[in-house]
Formats: sequence, C-alpha cells, structure tokens
Amino acid sequence: MLRLSGVSGLSIAVEARSVVKVFANIRALDGLGFSVHAGEIFGLIGPNGAGKTTALRIISTLLLPTSGNLRVFDLDVVQKAAEVRKIITYLPEEAGAYPNLSGREYLEFMAKFTTKNKDELREMVKEAAEICGLGERLKDRAKTYSKGMKRRLLVARALMSKPKLAVLDEPTSGLDVLHSYHVREIIKRYVREHGVTVVLSSHNMLEVEHLCERVSLLNRGKIVAEGEPKQLKEKFGSANLEEVFAKVVGFA
Amino acid sequence: MLKGFGNFLIKELKELMRDPKILIGMIIIPVLMFPILGAVMSFSMQSAQESASKTTVLVLNRDNGEDSVQFIAFLNSSLKAILVSVSTIDDAVPLLSKYNATEIIEIPSDFSQNVTARTPVYVGFYSVFSGAGLVEGIGSSIVDTLVQRFNRDVAPDVIVPRQSVIIKGKVVDGVSLQVLSSLMISQAIALPITMMILLTYSMQIAATSVAMEKEEKTLETVLTLPMDRFAILMGKLSGSIIVAGVSAVAYMFGFNYYLGSVSGFASGGSSVDLASLGLVPSFLGYLLLGVSLFVTLLSALALAVILSAFAENVRSAQSLVSYVYLLVFIPSFVLMYLDINALPVWLRVVLYAIPYSHPIIASKAVTMGDYLTAGLGIVYVTAFTLIIMYVASRLFATEKILTAKLRFRGLRKGSKTPVEEMG
Repeated sequence: MLRLSGVSGLSIAVEARSVVKVFANIRALDGLGFSVHAGEIFGLIGPNGAGKTTALRIISTLLLPTSGNLRVFDLDVVQKAAEVRKIITYLPEEAGAYPNLSGREYLEFMAKFTTKNKDELREMVKEAAEICGLGERLKDRAKTYSKGMKRRLLVARALMSKPKLAVLDEPTSGLDVLHSYHVREIIKRYVREHGVTVVLSSHNMLEVEHLCERVSLLNRGKIVAEGEPKQLKEKFGSANLEEVFAKVVGFA
Repeated sequence: MLKGFGNFLIKELKELMRDPKILIGMIIIPVLMFPILGAVMSFSMQSAQESASKTTVLVLNRDNGEDSVQFIAFLNSSLKAILVSVSTIDDAVPLLSKYNATEIIEIPSDFSQNVTARTPVYVGFYSVFSGAGLVEGIGSSIVDTLVQRFNRDVAPDVIVPRQSVIIKGKVVDGVSLQVLSSLMISQAIALPITMMILLTYSMQIAATSVAMEKEEKTLETVLTLPMDRFAILMGKLSGSIIVAGVSAVAYMFGFNYYLGSVSGFASGGSSVDLASLGLVPSFLGYLLLGVSLFVTLLSALALAVILSAFAENVRSAQSLVSYVYLLVFIPSFVLMYLDINALPVWLRVVLYAIPYSHPIIASKAVTMGDYLTAGLGIVYVTAFTLIIMYVASRLFATEKILTAKLRFRGLRKGSKTPVEEMG
C-alpha cells in the first residue's frame, strides 16, 4: 500500500519548468511550464500533436526532458525516476492488456508491484473489479474483451492502488457515453475520497470542462492559457473551452 | 473465381515486400546463405584434401627382405613414409606428433616370404583418430588405395590390412577408422542441429515477447511500474530460456530416438562402443558443454531482445532476428562435418569469432579430452554475453526502448517521425 507519509504537507504535486523535448529536429515540447496542486484533477488539453502525451510520458519517467526541470511531489523525474515510479500510475492512451492473461490475473499481476500483503492484494483487486464493472468476465482472457472493456480494466488498474499521482492519457478513449460517464465519476470519487492527484490529457475539451478543476491549453509544445475552466471562459468571453482554445490560437 | 482474391493478394504482397526487414531476412539472407555455405564447405574440403596429399606415415619394418623395401618405396611414391626403428607400436605412438604423421604401418617379419610365395600376409595399420570429421579418413583412405594398387600389381589380397585406431595416444585393436569416423559424425550432427533449432527458436521467443509488449501496448505501462528495469530484461530472458529449454529437452528426446534407430542400421554388424573407447565426454566435459551452451543461449537471447527493441511489431522483430541466423547456420553446418583444426586459418579465425560456434567446438573438444579449448570458448562467449547484456540493460534503462527504431531510409516512404508517435 502506498503511503503519503512525510509529503502530506506538500501542496504541489507536479511542477514543470521550461521543459523542452526534442525528437530528431522537432521540438515536441518548447519551454513547457505548469504546476499541479496536490489532490486536484488537472487537465492538459490541446489538439493532436500538441505535446500532451510527451508531457505525460516525461511525468511518468518514460522519456527524459532534453532540458528543463520536472518534479513530482518534489522528486526530480530524471534523478529520482525509481522513487517517482513508486508513487505514480500511468495509463497510456493506447494501452493494452496481456491477451493471454485473464482480467483478474492482469489485476493481480499489477497489484503485486504495490503490495506483498495478501489481504491488501485481494482488497485491491476487489476494488478494481468494482471500478471496471466487468463482473464474471474478469475470469476470461483479455483477448476476448472489447475495446471498451479493456479500457475499463486499465483505468481500474491505474486507480486501484490509490497512487499519489495518477497520470491518465485520454482516460475515456474508446469508451461509449455511459462508460465515459462512469469512469469520470470514479476519477472524481478517488480524488475526493483517497486524495489521489490526477493529471490527465484529452482533446475532448467538453469532457475536461466537466472533470478538471484546472486546465492548461497546450499548442505546439507550449502552454497558451491556464486556469479554471470557468475563469478561462469568462476571460475569453466564450461559451466553452473549445471556443477559448480557438480564440487563443487565433482560429476565431 | 474467388471474388476479390487478386486484389487482396496484391495488397498482401505489397505490404510484405515493402517491409525491408522481411525482404532482407526472408529473401536476401537465404539467397546469400547457401552459396556462402557451399563456398566455405568446398574450400574447406579442398584445403583438407591438399593437406591430406602431404600425408605422412611411420613405417615399422620388421622384415629384412626385398619386398618390404619395394612396398615402402611404393608408398613413398604417393606419400611420405618415414622408417622408424622401435620395438613396439606403443613406442612408435609418441613419434607420430614429432613427424606430424597420421598413421603407423607395421610390416611383419614374414612379409617378403609371403609376398614372394603369393600368400596372404597381415599388415598392421594404426590410424590416429582426431575427431576431424569428414576429412579424418582422407589420409587413411589414401593408404588403403595404395594397398589395393599394390595388391593388384603383385597378387590379389596378398596384403591383408589389420585395422586399428589410436585414440588419445592409446592403441585400440580391431576398430577401423572409417567405421569410427562415420559413427562419430552421425553423433556429431546431433549437437549442431539441436543448437540451430534451440537458438533460432529461443531467439524468436525472446524477440516476440518484447515486440508483443510493444504491439499490445503493454510496454509503456510496464516501464512505469515500481520495478527494476533490469528485472524486466531478466524476466524476458529467463522466460525465453525456460520455454526454449523445455523445447530443447523435447527435441533431444525425439532426436535421440531417431539417432538410435538410424545407427542401429548404419553400424550393421560392427559393434563399436564409443564409451569403452573413451569417446564420450567425462562429467567435467558434459559440465563444460552445458555451461558453453548456456552462455551461448544467453548471448543469443540478449541479442534478440536488443534487436526486437528496434522493431515496431512482432513481424518486424522476427525478421530482424533472422539476420542473426546466418551466424548460427554457417558454423553449425561447417562444424557438423569438419573439424575446426582442419580448416584454413582465416576461416578458423572467423568461426572462433562467432559466439555460436563455441558449443559445437566445445562438444568435439571435450570428447577428445581437450578441456582448455572448451574453457577458453566459455570465457570468450561469456565476455561477449556480458557486453550484449550491458547494451540490452542500457537500452531498457533509457527511453531508447520506446523510441529506438531501425530506419531504412529511401526504402520506406512516409515513415512516422518520432513526434507523430509521441503525440
């Protein structure tokens, strides 16, 4: 079980300063800077290729920043990568499950990285089963699951260990309206009940508006606007975040 | 006519043939491999035959007559016969290495008497067994041919050869070198074939398991788990070794049965017990062979893991590892029939440099009691494996495992830039 001891007083969960990521000759992130408060749901939103996934991958220690600095609960993601991995979970946008393991086996496999205690492990898997709502289908191999079922399993995996920080890349990708609603409610509940901090990305700006307390609008690797959805809408005199984004990047 | 079949087939061929990894792995490598293999084999056989024409034999002449002198002169016309005067065959054995000879011929005291009378006379032929594979018998068969020619010139079957072999410096009576060599070759085929199957199989498993993580999009999740990245690599390698090991045991079981049934026919009436001749490895020999096989397997698997890190999916991972098959197949085929010491120096250097040659070299070396060669091979392959493992662990420790990709510029158009994939 992950503990919050010693860091509960910290109010900053993620802090990015002038983060640059260059692939070959392309600057995927160009001086990215933002901060996420502990216990909030923070959204990185922007169009495809804006750099959302690259930013989330750097937070999750998968990629190294070319320059700049990024800290998760005061741990540097480059210097203290192993420590960071102990307090986060990451849900990639196109993640899959092992096709020849059953849903339950997959959850048990993942839970064993968090706890060695059998009771805790059982409790964690039970909780994940409730989150994903797959019921008896958890006994079936993952290769028999639909895209939506697989996504629900993976969201459950990312939340079941109650990490300090859950990094969710397009969490409702591939889910229908009802299941998307279900997953959003679960995320909200986890933040409220367990103090989990969530950083998520989405290009569905309407969804983010309902879910996130604060958002950063990302375009071409840079933050172009940041704040509470309500404040941003007021500031730009827009009906929704899509309009805000269009105005900021000069489409409208 | 199947509706849509032609259209679909064309799409399929375009898809397959435009993948340069498939083009190279499945078409160019096999096309190159067998001509290379053929050239190596024929060159090796040629050079072995050339060296055999310089065959040297030691002659122990216990006869004082003229016919034995004539017989020795006859042998000298085609090979180098050196007269030695020692009292027993055992005393002559140490002289073999001194004169670089491969055979001792013992002419009995009644040789001239019998040849003059045209009555059969038994002549002792003691051939050195060195485990050199197909070329082993060349020197000995030249002597056989000369004896037959002598018999034709003088009288049918006047010289009756009494064949014996010298194994590891000890004379074993009543065993023909040809029978022994062919039996040893049939035994020696088992290991290279097992090696080929085991290595190619396990490399496929290792490469597939990494590529599957990429294809099924599970690798990213795994890399963010609170676990040692080296543990992921070792988990992959160990899993592949266990599966490959089970398959090797199953394979050896079947192959042993096959070998048993074949040699039952091949040996016919001649009963040659290799164990009693000391031609099976000792416990230490088996141990060295096992270690050699293990480190070679580990190096092959680590190499497969590295290669598969550059593949986007299972298909391209399998094509990538097939490039390495050339390095597995050539030593296996060459060393299946020929001894490394019978090969030209440059080829020996090439084969010693390929790590996958060493278990095969070790299997012959330990049978002949040469533990040093097996030991040095293990040291070399271990060093190679450590370097490969280090590279593999670096690959897993960094973002390269996600971002590395082999690019065939010019061949593949419209390939994705990293930023497109990174989002």
